[in-house]
Order: sequence, then C-alpha cells, then structure tokens
Amino acid sequence: MYKYIFKRIYQLVIVFFLFLVTSYILFDSIPGNAFQNMLLNPLLPPGAYEQVLALYGLDKPLSERIVLYITNFFKGDFGYSYKYYPKTPIELIAERLPRTLMLFAMVNIVSFYTGFLVGKILAWRRGSKSETWITITSVFSYTVFYPWFALMMLWFFGYKMDWLPIGKFLYPEKWYDAPFDSDVIFTLMIKFTVIVSIIQFLIYMFTRNIESLNSKRNLRFFGFILNIVGSFIFWNTGDALTKKIYAMDIAYHMILPVITVTIVAFAGTALLTRTTMMEVLKDDYILTARAKGLSQRRIRDRHAARNALLPVVTSFIFTIVTIIDGSVLTETIFSWPGMGQLILDSVLNEDIPVAMATFSFIGVFALVAHFIADISYAYLDPRIRIQSQG
Amino acid sequence: MSNILEVKNLTMHYETLDGDVDAVKDITFNVKAGESFGIVGESGCGKTSVAMCLLQLQAENGKISNGSILFDGQELVGMSENDLRKVRWDGISIVFQGAMNAWNPVVKVGEQIREAMREHNPKSTKSQNTEKINELFNMVGLDSSASERFPHELSGGMKQRAIIALALSCDPKLIIADEPTTALDVVIQDQILTEIKNVQELLGLSLIYISHDIAVIAEMTDKIAVMYAGSIVEIGPTEEVFKSPKHSYTRSLLDSTPSIMGEKKKLRSLEGEPPSLINKIDGCSFSPRCPSPSNECKNQSIEMGLIKVGIDHYADKCCSGCISE
Repeated sequence: MYKYIFKRIYQLVIVFFLFLVTSYILFDSIPGNAFQNMLLNPLLPPGAYEQVLALYGLDKPLSERIVLYITNFFKGDFGYSYKYYPKTPIELIAERLPRTLMLFAMVNIVSFYTGFLVGKILAWRRGSKSETWITITSVFSYTVFYPWFALMMLWFFGYKMDWLPIGKFLYPEKWYDAPFDSDVIFTLMIKFTVIVSIIQFLIYMFTRNIESLNSKRNLRFFGFILNIVGSFIFWNTGDALTKKIYAMDIAYHMILPVITVTIVAFAGTALLTRTTMMEVLKDDYILTARAKGLSQRRIRDRHAARNALLPVVTSFIFTIVTIIDGSVLTETIFSWPGMGQLILDSVLNEDIPVAMATFSFIGVFALVAHFIADISYAYLDPRIRIQSQG
Repeated sequence: MSNILEVKNLTMHYETLDGDVDAVKDITFNVKAGESFGIVGESGCGKTSVAMCLLQLQAENGKISNGSILFDGQELVGMSENDLRKVRWDGISIVFQGAMNAWNPVVKVGEQIREAMREHNPKSTKSQNTEKINELFNMVGLDSSASERFPHELSGGMKQRAIIALALSCDPKLIIADEPTTALDVVIQDQILTEIKNVQELLGLSLIYISHDIAVIAEMTDKIAVMYAGSIVEIGPTEEVFKSPKHSYTRSLLDSTPSIMGEKKKLRSLEGEPPSLINKIDGCSFSPRCPSPSNECKNQSIEMGLIKVGIDHYADKCCSGCISE
C-alpha cells in the first residue's frame, strides 16, 4: 500500500510540473498583454510602456520567464497582481476562496447525498409510477441548459416572488457598522461546518461495531440530536452570538444558488446511482441477502447501495474539482464574488500571476482529489486493495 | 416421522413477453424431518424454480398459480413478506448454485454470516456469534481465520464451504442445496458432499439436494424425485428407483451414467433436447424423446399423473408402462 501511495505521489508531481508549464505557455499565447491599454493614452511619454514591461519582466523571452516563474513558484513566490498591484495572488485567493468553498462544498455534499439517496430509491422501486416521474424530472434537470435554468430560478424566486435576494452574498447596508470583515464570518462558517461533519462522521465510525441493530440506530440518532443541540448552543453563546446575524445574512444569500446548483447537480448522481444499482440488484448476493431474511432496507442499503457506490464516488471526486473552476458560470450569474469571478477577471485582464496562481490552485486541488479517490477506492472495494499492493 | 415440508400440487409459471413458461407443473412431494430428498433432472427442467418457490424467492415474473407449500405447519404461499423473512434462513436455508457470486464482494465473510444471525437472533452478542461461526467453520473444514477475510481472498472450494457454514448459521430445520458442487473440481466436490452429509446427519437436518448429477444424488439422498419438463415423472426411495426405474426417462438417465463397479457397458445418451416449456406439449411430455413410444403416448387426450408402482414408489402413468422387462 505505501509503495502504491509513494508511486502515485511521484506521478502527481510530474503531472503538476507539466500542468504549470502548459498553463504558462497558454496564458502567454493570448495576444497582447495586461498593460496594452496604456498605449491608448495619447499622452503616454515615449519609452514608458517599455519601461513598465521591463518592470514586470515581460520583456524577457518566454523560455526565460517560464524557468523564472517555476523556480519562484516552488520557492513560494507567486509575484504580484498586475491589476491590483500591491496585492499578491495569494492574498486575492485567500479573500475569495472561503466564499466559493462555503457555497460549493455545500452544494456538492447536498447534491451528492440527495442524488445517491434518490437514485437508490429509484432503482429499488423500479417500474412504479413515482419512479417514472422522478426519472423524467431528473433527466430534465440533468440536460437542462444551466445558465438559462439559473436565470429562470433568479427571475422566479428573486424577482417574481421576491422571496430571496437576486445576487451578491450579503446586504451591504447591514454590514456598514460590522466590526469585522465578511471573510471572518465565512471562515467561521466553514470551520463550523467542517467540525459538525467531523463529529457526525466520528459518531458513525464509533457506532460501526455495535452488534445490536436497534441500539446502533438509537445511538446514532442520539448523536445526531446532540450535534444539533451543540450547534445551537454554539451560535447562541459568546463570540459567535455577535456574528450570528451576519452569518444568517450570508446563509440567506446562499439559499438560491445552493438550490439551483443542487437541482442541476443531483440529477447526474441520481441517474448514475440508479443505473449502477440496477446492475447490482441482478447479482446473486442480493438473492442470498433476501434468502437470509434480511429487511428490505438492509438489503438495499447494505448490499445493493454499498456495491453501487464505487462509480458514484468516482463521479463525486470529479465534481469536487469543479467546486472551483465550475463556479465561474454560477458565480457570474449570481454575482457571487468568489474564485470563479477571480479566474474570469484575471484571464480577461491577462493578469498572468493571478491567473497562474488560481489555475495552479485548481491543479493542486484536482490532483489531490484524484489521489484521495484512488485511496478511497481501496477502502470501498477490498478487491482493489489487494491488487494495489503488487 | 412427521413431515417437515409438504408440497401439494405446486404450479408455477414465468410470465414472459413470448408467453407463459410453465416451469413447475403440479408438483407434490413430502420431506420428513431428518430425511434427505433429491431432485434430479436436466438443465431447465424446473429444479431451481422449485427451490426458489420453497423460499418464495422466485423472480418477479414467476407466479404461483396453484398449490400449497406447508413448512412446519405454516403455509408459505401467499405469506406476507415480513412473516416470510422469519421463515427464511431460520427455518429454510439454501446453499446456492455457484457460491462464487453468492457472497457480497465488499463485506467480510464472517460479517455476512453474523448479519443473518443478528437478524434471526437479535439477543446474541458479538462474541457469541463469532464463537458460533468459528465452530461452524471447523465443522465444514475451514480455518476460523477465514471469517475475517473478504470473499475474493478465498478459493472456490473455501467459498462453498463457507456458504454451507452460512446456511447452517441460524440452525435451520431444512437446507436446500441447489447444485452446490457444480463449479468445483471432482476432489473438492467429493469433500464438500461428505461435509454436507456429515453435517446433515450430525445435526439431524432435513435436506433437499438438487442436482443434474444422478450419481451424486444416489450417494446423498434417501428419497428421490426425477423431474422432466416441469413435472415429477418418478418419485420413490433412492435405492428402489435405482434398482428398478419405472419411467423411461429415469432409465435413460441411469443408462447415460457410467458405473464404476460391474461390467463395462456402452453408455447410451438420450436423443433430442429438453423441451422448451413455453410450448404446450401434447400428450406425454416425454413422448418426443422416448426410446420406445407407443401411439397412445402421443395421444393428446392422455393425462399425465403419478401412479403407484411399488412401496412408496410412484411413476408417471404413461411411461411407467413403457419399460417391460
């Protein structure tokens, strides 16, 4: 296993290096550069443009710049943004990332979970009327033209019904005398979500080995209630209490994007789960499970769904990668100032240091996600565990 | 001895797009407590369908149109799913054809056995269950460490042994063994058969052994039913049936099996193919392949049905007369 992990890491480093070089060449090959609109100014003194280029090192040949960039990259120096000069790309990303992570981590987890749940039930109730209708709806939301759908959602819930805000991630008027930055709230919300999920996961893991099904279920339910009560207490005491209204404001703004993206994203998972699960249901061990006299629910969850999980996890890992780059469209439509907008902005302005930094961030993210996928496969399917040892 | 299982006039068909397939036609047999009962017949003659009906696990398009299955005084046909769950494994357990795929590949073998035990005996603790599994594994000749392995880490023979342990895990009264040794080589086959036989005698279980291999059936069972085209054509004590087969299909089956002892004879194979059950057969269902059919056999009005030909020995009306020696 360790040998396998080591091999994978070695491959990842090479892939990442190639990724950096390719992205840099691609950005460089965009015609023009970030400072070209200086030339539109008729009062520009002669030689000033060249001076600016030299200042940023853009007068050097491509090969030299690539080597320079990559050595600096591995030293941890990402340069300065061309557009927001004194800021570094890291500062920009640090500001934008929590907003995107909060929104899309939420969307991905919710859509994966509901998709898996719905798909599982669809396969199980194959042939019933409800199955037909839900499948048709899922196919619709899977194939719908996403920007159009998002705009329709905005129009209906934001404008026509006026239930939810149309865009942005907060009401500025509420934040005039806020004693802290919105990032503080975002970070707090992320920390909160992560801790709650970890606790939930630990409850699940600890109750795994309990033999009696009843006490296992009761303990898990008790843990879940405890978690909710704990969260309630957290938000109503001390430091978090003052931040509560601001967090509520952000949460309120999150509702519409989360629902919209979830509707689009869950369908893929649901349909995939349905298909794989229908294959699994034909397998002999499902018959064994039925012959053993297990409950329908247990056969569905423990035997069928567990085996249908592998391809679904694969697709989930791939969608994790789109948490950041897939957000470009959503963030533009919902005017959500996150990573997606930063990417779009930096590419349009040819702000190469920021563009490179965001892209390499996505690259690292994607590679790590794939790495985790490989490892979690081994956990989910013991047959892979064996092969990977060799 | 009392009957643990009474099957009466069981009739089952599969609804398919091409029409109904009559897989099981009017089958009647009894199994006594502690007895081992064999069902033999060609592929596709409805053996497995009978087994699935006994557990009420027939495929969704398999419909029982008539008959009753009395297990331990309970009627299984038409029983609710929840009540059936209690009968399954606790009362009747099954050793499936092809143990390779009968295990869930992602759950450890021991856990899959424990799961059944939990379901039927919720009060027992984990250590009690584990102890019992180890005991069962020893009984079927497996190392107890095998319970902590995943199915793919076991060989075919080990999986089959583990399946037998699984079938015994809830102390059932009746075990159905549906061609348990088909996928195994002869040496392992023999070991497994001995294992099943030992366990059955040790625990006093009833056994229904289903196979196409008449030699295996001879070794394993006290009583035998020969199936052809969905119906039982001959039923009786194993020894009796082997000594003096009354139905010409049974005769053909015996003739096509080599005998180790006795004189060397040229094996005779049965001409033709097993009939497709989708077409209704006129007259005696065996008449198209019968080595010595009379005109009467093909008569449409002829009725199939068992008549008594010896002590506890019954054979089909039509063909029981075909053999005259």
